[in-house]
Amino acid sequence: MISPRTLRNLKKELRSSALAKLGIVLVLAMILVAAFAPFIALHNPTNQDLEENNLPPLGFSRTTEETSSEMVNGSLEIVNETVRINATASHPLGTNSLGQDVYSRAVYGARTSMMVGVLGTVLAAVLGVSVGLVAGFYRGRVDDALMRFADVSLAFPSLVLAIALIGLWGRAAVDVPDPFVALGIVDPVRAAFGLPTGMPDSFVLPGTVIIVVGLVNWVWFARIARGEALSIREEEYVKAARALGASDARIIGRHVLPNATTPILVLATIQVAAIILLESSLSFLGFSGTTLSWGFDISQGRGYLSSAWWIATVPGLAIVFAVIGVNLVGDWLRDALDPGIEGEGGV
Amino acid sequence: MSYGRFLLKRGLQGIGVVWGVVTIVFMLRFITPGSAVDAVAPLDASQELRDRIAAELGLDQPLYVQYLDYLWDLLQGDMGYSYISGIEASAQVFSKLPATIELAVASSIIAIGLSIPLGVISATRRHEPADYAATTFSLVGISTPNFWLGIMLILVLSVEFGLFPTSGRAFGFGAAFSTLVNQGVGPGIDAFWQWLHHIILPAVTLGTYFTALITRLTRSGMLEELGQSYVRATRAKGLPESLVRYKHALRNTLIPVITVLGLQLGTLIGGAVITEAVFSWPGLGTTLINAINARDWPILQATLVVIGSGFVIVNLVVDAVYAYLDPQVVAE
Amino acid sequence: MTDEILKVRNLTTRFFTEEGQVNAVESVDFDVRDGETFGIVGESGSGKSVTALSLIDLVETPGRIVEGEVWYRDADLAEEHRESHPDAVDGDYVDVRQLPESTRRWLRGPAFATIFQDPMSSLNPSITVGEQIAEAVEVQRRARANPRRTRSRTQGYGLGRLLVDSVVPSRDYVSEESHERAVELLERVGIPDPEQRAEEYPHEFSGGMLQRAMVAQALAGEPDVLIADEPTTALDVTIQAQILNLLRDLQEEEDMSVVLITHNLGVIARMCQRVGVMYAGEVVERGALEDVFQNPVHPYTEGLLGSIPDIEDPAPRLSPIEGNVPSLLDSEMGEECYFADRCPKAMESCLHRIDEHEAESTVDDAAHHVRCVLANREYDESEALGPEAKQEVITDD
Repeated sequence: MISPRTLRNLKKELRSSALAKLGIVLVLAMILVAAFAPFIALHNPTNQDLEENNLPPLGFSRTTEETSSEMVNGSLEIVNETVRINATASHPLGTNSLGQDVYSRAVYGARTSMMVGVLGTVLAAVLGVSVGLVAGFYRGRVDDALMRFADVSLAFPSLVLAIALIGLWGRAAVDVPDPFVALGIVDPVRAAFGLPTGMPDSFVLPGTVIIVVGLVNWVWFARIARGEALSIREEEYVKAARALGASDARIIGRHVLPNATTPILVLATIQVAAIILLESSLSFLGFSGTTLSWGFDISQGRGYLSSAWWIATVPGLAIVFAVIGVNLVGDWLRDALDPGIEGEGGV
Repeated sequence: MSYGRFLLKRGLQGIGVVWGVVTIVFMLRFITPGSAVDAVAPLDASQELRDRIAAELGLDQPLYVQYLDYLWDLLQGDMGYSYISGIEASAQVFSKLPATIELAVASSIIAIGLSIPLGVISATRRHEPADYAATTFSLVGISTPNFWLGIMLILVLSVEFGLFPTSGRAFGFGAAFSTLVNQGVGPGIDAFWQWLHHIILPAVTLGTYFTALITRLTRSGMLEELGQSYVRATRAKGLPESLVRYKHALRNTLIPVITVLGLQLGTLIGGAVITEAVFSWPGLGTTLINAINARDWPILQATLVVIGSGFVIVNLVVDAVYAYLDPQVVAE
Repeated sequence: MTDEILKVRNLTTRFFTEEGQVNAVESVDFDVRDGETFGIVGESGSGKSVTALSLIDLVETPGRIVEGEVWYRDADLAEEHRESHPDAVDGDYVDVRQLPESTRRWLRGPAFATIFQDPMSSLNPSITVGEQIAEAVEVQRRARANPRRTRSRTQGYGLGRLLVDSVVPSRDYVSEESHERAVELLERVGIPDPEQRAEEYPHEFSGGMLQRAMVAQALAGEPDVLIADEPTTALDVTIQAQILNLLRDLQEEEDMSVVLITHNLGVIARMCQRVGVMYAGEVVERGALEDVFQNPVHPYTEGLLGSIPDIEDPAPRLSPIEGNVPSLLDSEMGEECYFADRCPKAMESCLHRIDEHEAESTVDDAAHHVRCVLANREYDESEALGPEAKQEVITDD
């Protein structure tokens, strides 16, 4: 599947391309942040502190009008004060309207994006590749039927279909215990660094979103897999295997699939980027099973654009950098492996 | 086969797909928890009341009867009435359609108009500053979620600098045009300005992803074409460089670009839904979201059918253009 | 004395790649006369194709022509440039390399036309064959109608119009007359049903038919020199014969010279009056066909001819040339004769740069040049290079 020659091509391309290196750095950063969120976050992202809400990030300050009433000389007076609110070091990127730490929410948001991005792509890939391989290998009526089905699936823009499905099926989510917290190593490490303890002991895996996202994107994988199956089945070694009496399943599994991995892999990276964007769009619109998501934070911040612009800006920047990283990795793979993919699977 | 026959074949396929779309939309109701009755009936309704409502909505009939009724009604343009407002579904949906089309068309024009020249310049001035700028822009452009871009644009251009309104659609293009015709140049220009003023930010927001995507594709496509043997042979016969680039290389580059465009139409519509949400643009996207949240089935179904069919139609047009450019497709 | 239409002197083309400098063409000299077919023969990697590209200035980065002159006979052109480029003019000859870029481009068509090995990859697959031939015709038409060196060929074809035309087949650039002429040319090269064929796309043509179409395209400018780079290599044997006959007929009718590049000695023997043999980027032997083929002097030429099976005198074994083609990387090429390590007659004097010597010629007014010391002396075994010395040549820097 991954031949030595492929590895060499990958390394060569990586050495010569600064952008590929940047991509890997960004993606690794995102993976690490997502994995070690309990250690990296400054506060528990769900902790609210209404006293400390809407704090600006370091280097900025915010002014606000405070109206209070005072008893002055026996009569009630309305006093307008212009209060300056400064940033605090304990919330370097500020807080949102509920007093939650923006930085910590961004850190935990990486988990959601990564989980949905990766799991959604895996689901779409498994579904799509299976259907595509079968369609391409057997051809004929099976192929026609499956491709008709694919055409109809494609007739719905993915976001529209996703919204419809999630809206109708609900936003089921699963609470997955955080392994680090369960092991009890989080608090001691945090305490050693002087960081507040008490991180969330589980995180929310938005199951419906993952399933829906996988369902709306399987077609891209199916097309690629089908194309590969169509051409590989004509190869000499496949005919030889048949002549030796190998079963269809064996041929597909041992000959067709391994040789089709390259374009599928490139498509997968493109899909991860697309799904991260899709997930953030869904949670922005309120169609997600979790509130600890970059998209959701942006929707929250929307109402405070003039007063607390950082609430919407920070998670957005996180998305941009994460997706840039994934796209650069995708470019690297495509340039190195040169599978001749012209198009890009979309949201 | 000839071009005409090809179109006919594609057209028939399209009709088949539309039928599939319509059927799936119909099936959606039955794979969803919670019945339509629940959406309409008050919480404390008696069973008798619920039965009556069910009968009124035609929900007590066997499945295939409902399906056939549904198809028959659809063919006549009857998509039922909104559970919420009671307005005829088709009327409601079609009244919102122009706004969405306007937005989609405006952003497509921006996207195509900007991206192809950008892509060509980038490819022909490789490794120069113009190329680096274009590639950076396109990388960031496909990595930015459009709702966030919209919000940032609002933040900077509307809130900070007050250049553009933050939401809404004051005049439709058609309305602006009729103002021009009926009320003369003065009010007409004012109407057009209002329209433009309101549509710029949403159109730019929606169009950015596509500009970036097409720039990228055009660039890589051009680079690949310019490396082909026939380019060298065409230069060898003395053709000026500009013709080699545009009449030959770019033309062949656009062929796969158009394919991708067709595939990405879904993203365009999805993006339109989000953009409408961000800018409170009164189009189909907003209609869809409201209908889902309210379980307003007729509206929901009508919206999905219209979106799905419209999508199929546009794809057909894209296929037609593609086949026109690439003669080998028709020959298959 | 037949006049030369083309005189190539000291042509040197190098490629500056990541792995180092590649000396593709090294100090190449040859002449092409009016109405003759001059053959360039050699194995792959000998530099023959790069030579062709260098003639028409189509060497692309990282390659560059670093030295040499390409003298082309055109009295009018010479007259025009006598004042502005005195070094580039010699009598009726103009050194094409020293002319400005636009003029060099202008020469493609009326002076030089080229056909390449694989016709299918020489044409744009999404534009009809007729249209592409008409393009060539149009280019020439416009060039003739306007003074040289100007923007005659662009004719206001700006970016905007190009973007529009790029989507719609631009019949505007190419005129009706050019289309008609294209059909005439197709008929001329023996393509049946030319009006119909002109509307078809390249993939609808067979290989041989398409190569004919390429010849038609090449004729559009009424070229003085037709450069044919492996024109028959990609074709079936029977079609090869047709194309070669076509070329010969046209050559007579048009009084055109042909530079025929191939690795096929049979084709050379059939078509050429004079021939040049290339090895490792150099012309090692050149002269009249009879001289080179029947009295070869250079051991490589001998070896080349000796490796052809002879049906009338079947030898028990073919006698191939020992060894491998040398690397053309500058860092790995030494000062000695490039063939020394494989040469059965290598001597001590072969360890230095060899110039072209003139050898005996049996044909009047066709000199026989050889880049080998054996042109002027006999092989002396006592000075022979032993196997160790040859090994050193290979491994030496």
